Amino acid sequence: MSRRLRLVVFGLGVSGIGVVFVLAALLIPRFGGGDHPYRDLAVPAAVARSAPNVVSALNFDQRALDTLGEETILLASVVGAAALLRPTTSEHERSIVAEDRILSATTLLGYLLLPVTLLVGLDVVAHGHLTPGGGFQGGVVLATGLHLLYVAGSYSTLVRLRPLTWYGIAEALGAGAFAVLGVSGLVAAGGFLVNMLPYGRFGDLFSAGTVPLLNLAVGCEVASGVIVLLAQFLAQALTVRATR
Amino acid sequence: MDPSWLPPTVIAIPLIGACLVLALAQHTPRLVVDVAALVTALFTVAGGAVLLVVVGAGRVVTRVGGWTPQIGIVLVADPIGTALALLAAILTACALLYTWRYFDSAEAHVHVLLLLFLAGMVGFALTADLFDLFVFFELMGAAAYALTGHKIEEPQAVHGGFAFGVVNSLGAYFSLTGIALLYARTGRLGLAPLGAALTGRGADVLVLAAMVLVLTGLLVKAAIVPFHFWLADAHAVAPSPVCALFSGVMAPLGLYGVVRVYVTVFGAAVPAVVAHRTLVGLGVVTAGLGAVMCLAQRHLKRMLAYSTIAHLGLFLVGMATLSGQGMAGSMVYLLGHAGVKGALFLLVGLLLARHGNVDEVGLHGRGRADGVARWLFVLAALALAGLPPFGTGLGKAISEEAAERWWLVGIFVLVSAATGGAALRAGLRVHFGLGKPPTDADPDTTSGEDEAQEGRFPARIPMTMVVPVVVLLVGAVAIGVVPAVADRLAEGGRLFVDQAGYLEAVTHGAAATQTPAPARWWTLSGVALGVLSTALAVTLALLAVHGRFGWLGRLLDTPLRTLHRAHSGHVGDYVAWLLGGVAVLSGLLILPALP
Repeated sequence: MSRRLRLVVFGLGVSGIGVVFVLAALLIPRFGGGDHPYRDLAVPAAVARSAPNVVSALNFDQRALDTLGEETILLASVVGAAALLRPTTSEHERSIVAEDRILSATTLLGYLLLPVTLLVGLDVVAHGHLTPGGGFQGGVVLATGLHLLYVAGSYSTLVRLRPLTWYGIAEALGAGAFAVLGVSGLVAAGGFLVNMLPYGRFGDLFSAGTVPLLNLAVGCEVASGVIVLLAQFLAQALTVRATR
Repeated sequence: MDPSWLPPTVIAIPLIGACLVLALAQHTPRLVVDVAALVTALFTVAGGAVLLVVVGAGRVVTRVGGWTPQIGIVLVADPIGTALALLAAILTACALLYTWRYFDSAEAHVHVLLLLFLAGMVGFALTADLFDLFVFFELMGAAAYALTGHKIEEPQAVHGGFAFGVVNSLGAYFSLTGIALLYARTGRLGLAPLGAALTGRGADVLVLAAMVLVLTGLLVKAAIVPFHFWLADAHAVAPSPVCALFSGVMAPLGLYGVVRVYVTVFGAAVPAVVAHRTLVGLGVVTAGLGAVMCLAQRHLKRMLAYSTIAHLGLFLVGMATLSGQGMAGSMVYLLGHAGVKGALFLLVGLLLARHGNVDEVGLHGRGRADGVARWLFVLAALALAGLPPFGTGLGKAISEEAAERWWLVGIFVLVSAATGGAALRAGLRVHFGLGKPPTDADPDTTSGEDEAQEGRFPARIPMTMVVPVVVLLVGAVAIGVVPAVADRLAEGGRLFVDQAGYLEAVTHGAAATQTPAPARWWTLSGVALGVLSTALAVTLALLAVHGRFGWLGRLLDTPLRTLHRAHSGHVGDYVAWLLGGVAVLSGLLILPALP
């Protein structure tokens, strides 16, 4: 298609969709109205299971199967990206990387913040059922925190303190643990992904049944998965070169 | 015993298996990975088979996490959804067996991705929740894009995966927008609760726009014109066993989704005649375009890909009758097609492994020494045309009967003959060296000569690559000769189009009413039309091999060239066509349905 024709088809399509979408959006219930059929069902259900963070209760209890699918999408994306970024037959990985000098202030701040960031990450994962956060968010914080090693230190420090195969295993086990917890619900309580543990006291760390455990599994998978993913991109940028 | 534990288990098996394979792959040799992946797939096959038996002629409803349909997610296994889940598992097992010696690199990525892909397909086929359907749709996509681009040494492979990813993701965003509109209106996400909420209120622009948007993503996955462009590009570069999965079950699942969502959610709100007319129209155009493009290819995998597009169009025509019989016919056809097309892709994979090439012209006569493979190729090509007693022939016959109108029957015959003829032409040229090697070099057709070789087996063909082909062809015959298959699918078709029954089963777990659907089996006219298609295919192939088209060929030259140019491989073009398609679909579905 010529550029002109493509633009014409694109323009007509977008205008048609735009008209339809605007007409449809005008019929959406007004913002701030009182009619919330799902809220009225979901919030009491979450509170009944001692989960103050209703979003987490939705994701890991009421619609836990969706979350199982979503964390699997992440797993497939990480494995897929690793497959597509693997060095080709005409590429090789260098072992030595030329490093730029880093400001000592950056190094100091990086190493000070490294343990803080990891702690924050763990906290966000562990309190997913109580406060905003959870496995997905905390996992990303953990993985990013680890890369302060690269920002503050050097690529070789990161590589030495980041045994990739173990992260690969942790990623697989984290992802698998979610499904295994689901099957445990089947065995223990007669239903897949049934919240089979005691709900505990509202606001306690150990409450809301399986929600914190599922958060932990997701946190483990997301942190390891993002580390594996970033490792592929860093390798492509820093060490993989075409063989001459 | 309450069978509601089975559906989630069938989803969980490939998922847990994939994680195990990924964990094992870090430290164990290739053989362990191969065995673990294949065993996982076989367990899924077993789980799917048990579920199919348990489902019988009814539905198994699972409330995941024990929540009511209004709050949580419900799975509903019915005969058609379960049959598709089982098909996905069988094809994955065949693909894993075939890849045993196929890839040189010892990477376990392919195994993990295939198993995750399987989990996505099984989940998609069993869920009864619109958002959950979308999640599994995306899971299928994430695994499929990476599998498509797997041969990263080739820029075309990465480009094919990219085009697939962009077009499918765009379709998915439309679906998600539609789901959001429906949620804004009803506060529901389950198929049955949504259907109940929309019943009796009639359809306004919001509901109709939501329907168009939700169906768009599914129609993209089903490669219906004008959303079909990604399919040929992806099939051209994806590893052949992956193509067998894409053609056999992934794209057909898109059609399954279209009809499932329409019937359960919009069945009572949107007049059936509007949906019927639009879907039949889309199916006919898709079937015609696919058949023409199929005949015009010399790149064998592209040819098979366009044949898939043509068949998807035919399945849509059958399903669009929105009758039990049409649904059953399409399902029988679809299952038979999966076996036949899967076998053809695996046979082309053999050519690629032995000769490093999938070009019909370049391979002329070079496949003479391929032993049993050359006879299997010809047999599969005839089966593609609808040769009785293959399942393709039976499915075509039932669909033709359900389509009723004579011109639709004509389209079934012509399209199946064209696709079978194209495959037969390639088989006769490559494996038997018939006719003169063609010399025409149309600059707009893609030759298959620069395709990356998959595997290297110059001396003899390993059994692990022949057995899956035979299994698939035997399966395609079994669908046409074992009456239980067609009987069960006839029941399944009746349940599939019964919205009220579906809603009742989800909300109250009521058993399906036991009025057996009329059995569908070979009829005299069905056999005759199957034989007619096959004879037409043979005539077409022989004419093409000996180049006897004369003035007709010259007359068709210019339109064919234009069609080829439209399939440019430019992602921007595909996106433009997609957006234009959504606008046209809106016009077709919204205007006539407004009160």
